[in-house]
Amino acid sequence: MSELFFQQVVNWITLGSIYALIAVGFSLLFGVLNIIHFSHGDVSLLAPFFALSVISALGSVLGDAGSFPVFLLGLVVAIAVTGCVGVLLDLVVIQRFRKAPAMMALVATVALGIVLRELIRHLFPNGSNPHAFPRLVDGDIVLAGFPVPLFSLAVVAVSTLSVGALFFMLNNTRLGLHIKAVSQDRDAARLMAISPGRIFRATFFVASAIGAVGGLFFSSYAGMARFDFSIDVGLIGFSAAVVGGLGSMPGAIIGSLMIAGLDTLVQAVVPNGASYRLVFVFLLVICVLVFRPSGLLGRTLVEKV
Amino acid sequence: MAHPSTQPSGNALSAAFIVIAVPLIGAAFLRQFLLAEDWRLVLGLLALFAVVLVVLERLPALETRIETAFARQSRLALLVGIVVVLGFPFALGGNTYALHLCVISMLYAVLALALNFQLGSANIPNFATGASYGIGAYASALLALNFGVSFWLALPAAAVVATIFGFLLGIPSMRTRDSYLALVTIAFGVVVHQLLNNLDFTGGPNGLVGIPVPELFGHAFSDPLVVFGHALPPQANFYYLSALLVFISIVFAERLHDSRVGLAWNALRADELAARCQGINVTWYKVLAFAVDAFLAGFAGTIYAFYVGFISPDNFTFLVSVTIMTMVIAGGMDNILGVIVGAFLLTLLPEKLRAFSDYRILFFGVTVILFLMIRPQGLFPQRLRRYGD
Repeated sequence: MSELFFQQVVNWITLGSIYALIAVGFSLLFGVLNIIHFSHGDVSLLAPFFALSVISALGSVLGDAGSFPVFLLGLVVAIAVTGCVGVLLDLVVIQRFRKAPAMMALVATVALGIVLRELIRHLFPNGSNPHAFPRLVDGDIVLAGFPVPLFSLAVVAVSTLSVGALFFMLNNTRLGLHIKAVSQDRDAARLMAISPGRIFRATFFVASAIGAVGGLFFSSYAGMARFDFSIDVGLIGFSAAVVGGLGSMPGAIIGSLMIAGLDTLVQAVVPNGASYRLVFVFLLVICVLVFRPSGLLGRTLVEKV
Repeated sequence: MAHPSTQPSGNALSAAFIVIAVPLIGAAFLRQFLLAEDWRLVLGLLALFAVVLVVLERLPALETRIETAFARQSRLALLVGIVVVLGFPFALGGNTYALHLCVISMLYAVLALALNFQLGSANIPNFATGASYGIGAYASALLALNFGVSFWLALPAAAVVATIFGFLLGIPSMRTRDSYLALVTIAFGVVVHQLLNNLDFTGGPNGLVGIPVPELFGHAFSDPLVVFGHALPPQANFYYLSALLVFISIVFAERLHDSRVGLAWNALRADELAARCQGINVTWYKVLAFAVDAFLAGFAGTIYAFYVGFISPDNFTFLVSVTIMTMVIAGGMDNILGVIVGAFLLTLLPEKLRAFSDYRILFFGVTVILFLMIRPQGLFPQRLRRYGD
């Protein structure tokens, strides 16, 4: 096993974990609300900008922007604020499309994504330009004779923890059971004294917060925050969720790992692969959907008579 | 029943009046909107438009009156429509920018009508109309640049190429539905855009330049059009060409809507399973919808390529497809007039919001969301099919 190969594997797992954090949100929101929240990627990638604002604000108050606690606090605040933005979008826009045809909600959230991107561009100082975003952790650790960046380990650990916590929450807590109940049958849940509106807001918060973690990792991975990152990342996260089967959390993770794997492979093997990566990724998406029309682990959609 | 003979003739007269007045008012409104420079005037005109819509919604009797007038005097309506469209460039007083906006709006109207076969008639989401538009544009431009094919030959050739790609897209779409189908079309659009952006023979991100100007009977389309001693700017050539394409598309759409195919698409929209039980070949009609969409989009793409003379992948992004989707939804699904009005509105709006310069994309997004929230059924909602009157 050569070092280069090992590096690519590490790269693959890192990228896959980041995509999975975003894809899980798409899948969760679809499972509960039955709509595609196409701007979920844009919401997720608001987080790096929130983090930068908080860090610079704290830095000017404390006079020390570079210290690790300030940085960490910035990240936590960014995650919480992004979760709240998700809830806010539901309250202002998305909840009006609960009973509308699915395509209406899809187009509305695409437009919402445009609005979010443009808002960053205009409201964030110098929003059109890329902003440097620090690596969460620097340095390497030697594992099985090869150096592994600590950053990758951190990404994998935090992603596993977040998604594990999400699974635990869905399966073992009261809120999780309520979310499941609402996703199965909204009216029956209401009869059981569960308020669907509250559950929807909770779902938006959880999905957006987990997406925010993914957004922060992505910016950290790329070394910068850009307002238009979310176009590609959102599309890839959405594709991963659909390839895995909308509404299925394990599916979203498998889809993310597949897409990240192909992405890494193409960039490593195909000449000039970086410019063709999206072509390969989306051809894979089409191929998977040809043979599995409702995703790898999705519920089958064809009615039989 | 005191005067059985005067009543219908009076109605016919007022119907004729309505049929003549409504298109003229519409054209006058469009002219003012196109020529408006001040953003306050633009917003005022938009408010007026909204008021008219609200009045029409509050007074359904008025709406039915206008509708029946047009249904009754359909020949006269056609004549008035043709006269208004032919005379419109003269009313713009040589304003080339306004004429240019008209051409682009009409091309988008064709694209929206094309998508309407899918989204409106059959409720098949398609985020790849922009890609078909691009395939048409690139196919014709490559034919013209590399093989010297004339515009008139490139036009059908590009439509055929686009249709083949439409069929190709239709094949993976046969089994998928709803959001999954939406993703297949999104993926197709991204693949086409990325390929155009990266392949060498399409000129990469720089696109194709120097597409020759079409000629007809020795009249180059870059020359001013002289009609009865009145010279119109060169854009008028393309104005009439795209108006012809819109006209053909409308006829195409109406004929299809009234045919077995249109009925089958509507059945698909209502209930795919029930349609299948009625013996409708669901798969074939779905693929056909993709092909028809790509066919018309290919035409529009060719005209665009030869009109502007320069195309690049960024003219055919995912955002373009989303805009076309919005035109159909905002205008009114399965309503030909609504779709055309939607196309004009959404093409002109960003241009007229130039006063907000950098903020116009933001305004565009906000407008789309507000539109879907306030009037989800579209400007002109789809009508029930009427038989026997």
